[in-house]
Parts: sequence; C-alpha cells; structure tokens
Amino acid sequence: MGGFRATLRALFHPRRAEREMDDEMRFHLQMEAEKLQKSGLDPEAARRETLRTFGGVDKYKDECRDARGLSALESVRQDARFALRGLRRNPAYTAAALATLALGIGANVAVFSVVHGVFLQSLPYGGGERLVRLRLDAPGANLSDMGFSPPEVGDFASQTRALSGVAEYHSMWFILLRDPEPERVQTGVVSAGFFDLVGVRPLYGRTFRRGEDAPGAPPVLVLSYDYWQRSHGGDPRVVGRTFKMNDKIHTVIGVLPPMPAYPDDNDVWMPSSACPFRGSAAAANNRNARMLTVFGRLKPGVTMPMLDADLATILGRFSKQYPDAYPGVEAKPAVTSVALRRELTERARPTFLVLLATVALVLLLACANVANLTLARQLRRQRELALRTALGAGRSRLARQMLTESLVLSLAGGLLGIGIAAGGLDLLKAFAARFTPRASEIRIDAPVLLFALGVSLATGIAFGLLPSMSRRADLFAALHEGGERSSGGAGRHRLRDALIVVQVAVSFMLLIGAGLMLRSLWKLASVELGFRTERVLTTRLDLNFSKYMDRDKRRDFQQRLLGRLQGQPGVVSAAISGTFPLNDGGPQSGNFLIEGWPPARPENQPQADFQQVSPAYFETVRIPVQQGRGFTPADRTGATPIALINRTMARHLWKAGSPIGKRLSIDDGKTWIEIVGIVGDVRQYGLDRRPTDQVYLAQAQYPPLSSTLLVRSTSNPMQLSRLVRDAVHGLDADQAVDRFRTLEQVRSNALASPRLTSLLLGLFAALALAITSAGIAGVVAFSVGERTQEFGIRLALGAEPRSVIGMVLRQAMTLVAIGLALGFAGAHLLAGAMSRLLFEVNATDPPTFLAMSAMLAAVAAGASLLPARRITAVDPMLALRAT
Amino acid sequence: MTAEPTRSELLQGTLDVLILKTLALAPMHGWGIAQRIHQLSRDVLQVNQGSLYPALYRLESKGWIRSEWGNSDNNRRAKFYELTKTGRRQLADETDSWERFAAAVARVLEAS
Repeated sequence: MGGFRATLRALFHPRRAEREMDDEMRFHLQMEAEKLQKSGLDPEAARRETLRTFGGVDKYKDECRDARGLSALESVRQDARFALRGLRRNPAYTAAALATLALGIGANVAVFSVVHGVFLQSLPYGGGERLVRLRLDAPGANLSDMGFSPPEVGDFASQTRALSGVAEYHSMWFILLRDPEPERVQTGVVSAGFFDLVGVRPLYGRTFRRGEDAPGAPPVLVLSYDYWQRSHGGDPRVVGRTFKMNDKIHTVIGVLPPMPAYPDDNDVWMPSSACPFRGSAAAANNRNARMLTVFGRLKPGVTMPMLDADLATILGRFSKQYPDAYPGVEAKPAVTSVALRRELTERARPTFLVLLATVALVLLLACANVANLTLARQLRRQRELALRTALGAGRSRLARQMLTESLVLSLAGGLLGIGIAAGGLDLLKAFAARFTPRASEIRIDAPVLLFALGVSLATGIAFGLLPSMSRRADLFAALHEGGERSSGGAGRHRLRDALIVVQVAVSFMLLIGAGLMLRSLWKLASVELGFRTERVLTTRLDLNFSKYMDRDKRRDFQQRLLGRLQGQPGVVSAAISGTFPLNDGGPQSGNFLIEGWPPARPENQPQADFQQVSPAYFETVRIPVQQGRGFTPADRTGATPIALINRTMARHLWKAGSPIGKRLSIDDGKTWIEIVGIVGDVRQYGLDRRPTDQVYLAQAQYPPLSSTLLVRSTSNPMQLSRLVRDAVHGLDADQAVDRFRTLEQVRSNALASPRLTSLLLGLFAALALAITSAGIAGVVAFSVGERTQEFGIRLALGAEPRSVIGMVLRQAMTLVAIGLALGFAGAHLLAGAMSRLLFEVNATDPPTFLAMSAMLAAVAAGASLLPARRITAVDPMLALRAT
Repeated sequence: MTAEPTRSELLQGTLDVLILKTLALAPMHGWGIAQRIHQLSRDVLQVNQGSLYPALYRLESKGWIRSEWGNSDNNRRAKFYELTKTGRRQLADETDSWERFAAAVARVLEAS
C-alpha cells in the first residue's frame, strides 16, 4: 500500500512532498554533474551541461505531481496562491473587478433571498399547500368576493366532500383595557378549529379547544407573537392573565409563534362566540350577514377543479333553499377557491419578477465588464504568460490558473456580495412587506448562501473562460516582439467589441426600466388628488363597542370632542369622518334605492361607497363643494336626512340632469335621504384608482363607530397630537386614540412602493451606466494606446487631429449603436413584465426610449472622447521612432 | 539501432518494465536507475530524466514500488526505490507479455 501512503503524505504534508521532490531532483543534478566532471569537464561547464540536458524542471515537477495522483487538490492550492499574488500585484484591476462583482452578486443574493423567502420555501403553516380560501362572486351583478355568512360556514362544513376541514375568520378591532392606556387591538375572530386547520401550534399555552366557540363559552384570547413582544415584553407569564374587553373578562390561554400578518395584522385572536357581533344569535342565523372569510383544507387527492365542482353543488343547494339570500342566475353567482400560497404571494409577483430580471441583467453586465477587464489585463500579461509557457508550464495548466484567478475573484466578490445583501436585508424586507405578508420570513439562510455560492462560481467560470476562449496567443511572437504592447489579434478585438455591445444593450434595458418607472412615479405623484394634504393631522378614533353601541352616545361624544378642539390655539378646523382619502382599509360600500326608480333586487340596485362626515370635513381636507350646499350644524337628528354626492356619481347616475333634491334610501325605503350638494372627486383608495360613486352622510345623523379625526393646523400638525390625546382622554379615559399621521405622510406612504421600486431600478441603471461608460473608456484608451504608431503616421501625413479623433469616436459609437439596437429589442421583450408596474405609461413609451437612447449615446460619446483626446498629444516623430 | 532512442521512442510501458526489472536486482535511487538501464542496455537506452521521475511517481502511486530516504554511496541523502510484492508480480506478468510480443515481432521479421 505504498502508493496510498505516498498519496496521503502528499495530501497531509504538501510542503514536505514538494520539498522531497526538489531534493530528489537536486540529487539527480548533482550526480549528473559529478559524472560529467569525472569525464573531464570543469565544474561550471558540467553544471551548465547538466541543466541543459535536464530541461524544464517545472514541467517535470508538474508531470510528477500528476503521476503521484491527487495533484488536483495541491495544484488548486498552488494556483490559488499564485492567483492571490497576481491579484495583489494589480490592485487597480482587483479593486475594479471586486467592486463590480460584489455589487452584481450582492444584488442577486438580496433579490433571491426575497424570492426564496416569499415564493419558493414552503408556507409557514402545517401542510400549507393544501389550504384554500373560499370566495363568492356574482360577476353578472358586479359583485366580487362578497364574503360568507355564519349559517353558511356550518353548511359548508357538513356538506363538503372535498374539504377535510372548514373554519371561519373575520377581523374586528376592540378596546382592551390595561395600564397605562386603553389599547385598540386588532382581533382575529375564528372558529375554535381554525389553528388546527391551518396547522399552527402555539409557542406557549394552547390554542382554542373544540367547543370554545359555542355560545356562552368563557371568553379566551390567544396573543400574536408581535403583539406579545410589543405590548407584553415577551413575557410567557402573560398566559393565564385576564383582560377586560367589551365588558367581559378574557383569559389569555396562549401565544402564537411568528406567522404572516395574514389575513390581517391581528394583535389577538378570539373564538367567534366572544365577538359581540358574530356571537349574537341574530348574526348566527342571518344568511345576509356576509362578514366572514372561510378557509378550508383540501382532502388528500382532491384537486382544485374537484373542489370547485363540490362548491358549485353546495351553492346550488343554497340558492334553491334560500332564494332571497343569493343573487339570481343572471348575476352568475359562483363559489370558488384560491390557494393560500397565491393569496400570500400574488401581489408581490410583478414587482419581484421585474427586480429579478433587473439584477440578472446587472450580473450579466458585471460579467461582461470583468471579462473585459480581465482580457485587457491578459493582453498586458502576455509576455509573462509566454515566458511561463516557454519554461514548461502546460497550456492547460495556464488556463487552469487563469480560471483559478477568476474563481478567487468571484468567490471574494460573492462574499462581499453576501455582506451587501445582509446589509440591505432590512430595507428589502420593509419594501417586500408592502406586497406580501410573508416578508418577515425573508432571511439569508442556507439555500440563499448556496445560491450565492452557485452564482459566484458560475460568474467566475463565465468571465474566466470567456477571455481564454480567444487566447490563441502566438507565444513566440509575444516573446520576440519584446514589448508589452503586442497586438492581441483580431479575435480578441472582436471579443472586446462584443462585450461592449452586450454592456450597452444591458445598460439600455436597465435604463428603460428605470425610466419607465420614474415616469410612472411622476405621473402618480402629479395625479390630481381632489384634496389638500398640507398641515392636516389624522388619527384613528375607533369607539369602544360596548360603550358606544348607542348612536346618541356616539354622536354626543364626537360632538363634544369637536367642541373641545375648536378654537384651541393652532387648530384651524377639526372634523370627524368615517375615513379619509388614501387611508388604509377598503371602501364601506352598499346598495341603495333611488326614489322613483323601478324596484330591483339588491344585486341590481345602484352601489356607492358611504362615508359619514361632520360639517367641517370638506373645509378641513379642502374638498370643494361644487354645487348645492355642504353640511351645517343644523343638519342634526330630527332634521331631514341629507347627503352629498361626488361628481362621478352625479355624472354616472343622473347624466346631464341635476341630482340635487333627489332622494335615496339605504334602508329599503323606510327613510329617504335628500341630496343637497355635489362635491369634487378625490382619489380615495389609492393614487392609481379612479374615483368611484361616493355618498357622504352627515355624521350628526349617522354617527360612525369606526371613525377618524382630522385637524387642520396653523403650523406643524404633529404638534397637535398631545392636545388631541388629552381631549379624548378628558372625555373618556377608557377610549383608545392612536395612529397619529399627517395627511402628507399618508400621501407619501401611498407613493412609497412605486418610489422605492423606482429608486432600486434607478440605482441599478445608474450603476450600469457607470460601469458601461468606464468599460467604453477603457476599450477606447486601449486601442488608442495600441495604435499610437498608426496615428503618428496619419498625423505625419497631414491628417487633422480632429479627424483622427473623429475616426476613433466613430468606431466606438458604432459599437454603441449596435448595443442600443439590441437593447431596444430586449427592452421590448421585457415590456410585458414591466407594464404591470406602470401607471398611465405604456411599457414602450416613445419619449422614454428616445430620452434614454440620447442619454446613453451622450454618456458613451463622452466616455470615448476622454481617452481619444490623447491622440492630439501624440508626437508623430516619437511615435514613428518607437518602432 | 545506431541512433540513440529518444524519449518518445521509448514506449511508456517499456520504461515501466525496465524500471521494475532494475529494481528487482537491488533497491536504487532515480539517478542510479537511469545509469543502470544505460549500462545494462550497453549504452543503447538513455533514460531521460523527464520521463524517469514521472514514471517513478506513477509506479509508486500504483503501489508497485515504494520509496525511502537513505544515504547514497558517496554519502548523500537520496531517495531509494524498491519493488513491492505486487510490483514483483507485475514484473513477471510484464516480462511474459514482453517476451510474447518480442517473439511475435521476431517471427514476423523472420518470415521472408
């Protein structure tokens, strides 16, 4: 087993094996020299003759290593050592390549961490892939995702053949009384079996038991992880504590592990019997109380189409049994299912698809740029390489060494890239959280690191092999020429040109992406809002259910609060409103009757969004009353119920006629509400959402439970928050008031996602432009240096320096033009993915394409002009003599 | 065979069997092996160092020979190679097949 021992020796004592090899060769040379001396040569001549006959020591050593086996590992070590030495000797190249690679790989690692965390890894629910949400739509009546009623949940559970479990869900806010301040808690209200259905096990304590959602069961609470951390300091002893909520004592029975903020960002969870609304007998039996979301788990072997067929059968039975509770056949009602995975990720898909494409392009660009740098460096190193070949280093060995150098660079770049990705992870998570509840699951874990390693290796191989593909260097020519400016041959020039074309094309695509996004952002930012945001404070003032169920008490509290605020220093005006423009939360929409119109089934009646506002609302947010009058304090209970409508609704329902004086009813004709005025349209639910039909009711006549307070101030509105808080607590110490934001912040938040997306795309595009212009300048500088002689001759023959510069520029700009043409085609290919992110901008928007082409061409021209101007400094005589 | 056989003319398998044979007589260092082959072939075969050492490393990794550092005749440290048991078996096999090969070539050449 001598062979094995030798191999082991070489593996564990590589230095010793190398030294022994050296010793052995030296011994051989000495013996040979002695022999020659004995035959009469003098020692010096003997030594020379020995070396001559022995030949290239390096080569033999290499062959010995190969013969010994396991040489790969050793020579990798040696190559790596060589590579490090070479890179240290060339800090400019190393720094440029490292920076490019770190940014390119880092961007990819960062975006991949999102792709993996959100789209690829399994859902954080037990068997989450089989979870579905049910939805009821009636496209014929323009009704979508209508929700389910309590009796339906039980019916689905008992009748389905496709689902192994069914659970209901809805979210409410309640006031939880505790020190030092009452807290408004978002509460998930669910069936007792909800957590078992979705496969979530508690971190502490337990979740709900069977029967805890039965009427009369003692109220219990489960805390969400975030709320437990935020409000209870992560103390496990909170299990067993009691809190007063809705006039009932609730016992905390468990704490949940971190999970996606889905369906809502709930603070606490309770079984359905504990909810004052859902728990009432009236709601439990009302088939029209469509307040619930329904989740189910597919039985093994059941597919989504099978489930949909099952649901259609059940809905058919419902419609036959309770015809009044369901839209008629002409409304095409249907119950369908959506996979939970889709629910959690669908909205993030377009943005991250575009980002993924962007970073892939950035990496391609980085590869092309580093390949170009490497090529230039190799041309300068040609002499060194030729020398080493002459000394007996095999061609494959040299290629391997080049590759090792690239891999050392790309792995180091990858390591830096991971650092960059880790540094930007929190920002990226905050960004992703705007699109998906899974953002908290994004982390740099083993799969992401593996991806980073893979990308680094692939990058290193790509830019390491590319230059050596054209390396058919004539060694003798390189040695004989004796200079560093040996010509690289046409192949290399073509390769460098091709790399520049690729860089220009990729940069153009990135510039188009950023340009489109910026234009869309600009359009979004300059949308006519219909209201004014400056100096308005907003806050959430959701009234305690148990205390303010009575309308008069609500109105009284709200009126007194407004009375306290009016006339305070700094307060211009104050208003109560159900909500305000660009606030989160969907519309409060409903159907209504119009006096004199033919009666219709509910799904065929006109629909509008309703908002209850106090008289000062329109003045506070500066929505103009365009026709008729606004609300006044005289519009109180007992007076004629009145409403204002927006311009869109007036145009939609009354066309040219005037709606003023017309009456509508929201209680099937029991009371009639008179339209007294028309106000301007506002962007209520998003900057990119067109105004819909909107009805404003008087807060004094329809006081809202879930409300907001808006205060217009004379200066910085945030300074009024203390005043508002004290005013609320002065009236009711148990009332929660929170979420103080200025209307300006609200608007800015509405722009945040597109702004961040533009910023990211803009950064990448700027980076691409910088890298590409540096690349162009490098190539032009190199070719100018190489052709000094030729230019010298041209100048000596009387050519104008300007025309010589022009020639060089023309050559560079030809490459840029080809790159632009390719980029043009590429950008059109990506237009489909891009268009889903754009607002009122076409993905093939001509102005953007024109502006970006012009910019890229100008930057490229500038980048080539800089080195080309060196031509004017060429002294014809010197250039000629340098031959 | 007037011209000195060059390295490429000495088939690889041939060099291996020559080395094994030389070592079967006595353990030897690399230089000594080359000299011995030269002598035994009556100055016809000149083993190039560039082939010798890779061959030695190859044979060692196959386990046919093993090496040990010792002192040479003139008291220099040198690496000595000796035949292993498998090497001895291999030499017998190779000698057999070489003789069959040589006899075959001879028969072809004698047929006239």
